[in-house]
Amino acid sequence: AGKAADEDGEDEIDDTDDVDPTAERAAWKLRELKRIKRERDALEAVEKEREEIERRRNMDEKERL
Amino acid sequence: KQHLFAVGESGEVEVATLEDVKERFTMLVDRRDREMKEGDWDLKRRLEERKK
Amino acid sequence: MSHLVDAKSMLDTRGLYEGPTVHGVNPLLLIEKIIRERIFESLYWKEHCFGLNAATLLDRAVQLTYIGGQFANQRPTPFLCLAFKLLQLQPPKEIVLFYLSQTEFKYLRALGAFYARLTFHHVEVYKTLEPYLSDYRKLKVRGQAGWRIECMDEFIDDLLTKDRVCDIALPRIPSRAQLEDLEELEPREDVLGSEGEDTETEGEGDD
Repeated sequence: AGKAADEDGEDEIDDTDDVDPTAERAAWKLRELKRIKRERDALEAVEKEREEIERRRNMDEKERL
Repeated sequence: KQHLFAVGESGEVEVATLEDVKERFTMLVDRRDREMKEGDWDLKRRLEERKK
Repeated sequence: MSHLVDAKSMLDTRGLYEGPTVHGVNPLLLIEKIIRERIFESLYWKEHCFGLNAATLLDRAVQLTYIGGQFANQRPTPFLCLAFKLLQLQPPKEIVLFYLSQTEFKYLRALGAFYARLTFHHVEVYKTLEPYLSDYRKLKVRGQAGWRIECMDEFIDDLLTKDRVCDIALPRIPSRAQLEDLEELEPREDVLGSEGEDTETEGEGDD
């Protein structure tokens, strides 16, 4: 693996689009679904965290009384 | 138009506006399309020659 | 108005930098020193980036055939050199948006996206880049480990969710969930739910 091999590497992969449009779109859809799920989970985590902070704050106030 | 983009003696470069960018872009798209057409034509001709 | 052709003059200010800033700093400092130096030393920078402006830079950008940070012995890719050039030029936002919105040259869009991520305000980063999550054209990526294919949407997603892309540490931005929680961002429109077959993707690719 010299410089030549590295330069050749470019020809071994192909960035031509629409070779198989159906498959390309299906693969994208799958990635998009994963991203949507990831975002939903992240948002839930943020909400849970906020509720937890809220809960503790309320507890502190009760203790103060 | 080329001179607009040339580097002046002062070592400064003319700042491009959006219009400059769009104009250059259109020129580059045209050039690419022309080259692709020529490439296709070239390929066809070579295939034709191979058949002979 | 004009730019100085030499990026180094933008750095050699002994802490007295008075030019435009991005996130409060000299934009060139968004790229770490060691990488800046490798860019300055690269042949591509010396031979192909000198004296460009936001219009002539297109000549180079439309010829890009891959993205990436550093490859083989830490040489910077042309993609990275052009991104650095943009940091020097500081084109107005409308020009960056033009690079992004055109559909003819996908590597130019990738360059615009990378630059927008480096320089835009965090809310703008999401608003500007997210629409391109539905562009699934293929990009070649050249890295230390060699070559691979990554789709545009994956590249955009990396820009929105990762700390480092193309070997560059990205400015920190809050996550989408945090921004939604703070009501700085509306929830993302469901591109899949409103599947009016390809009306959403604006004829990306070639239907």
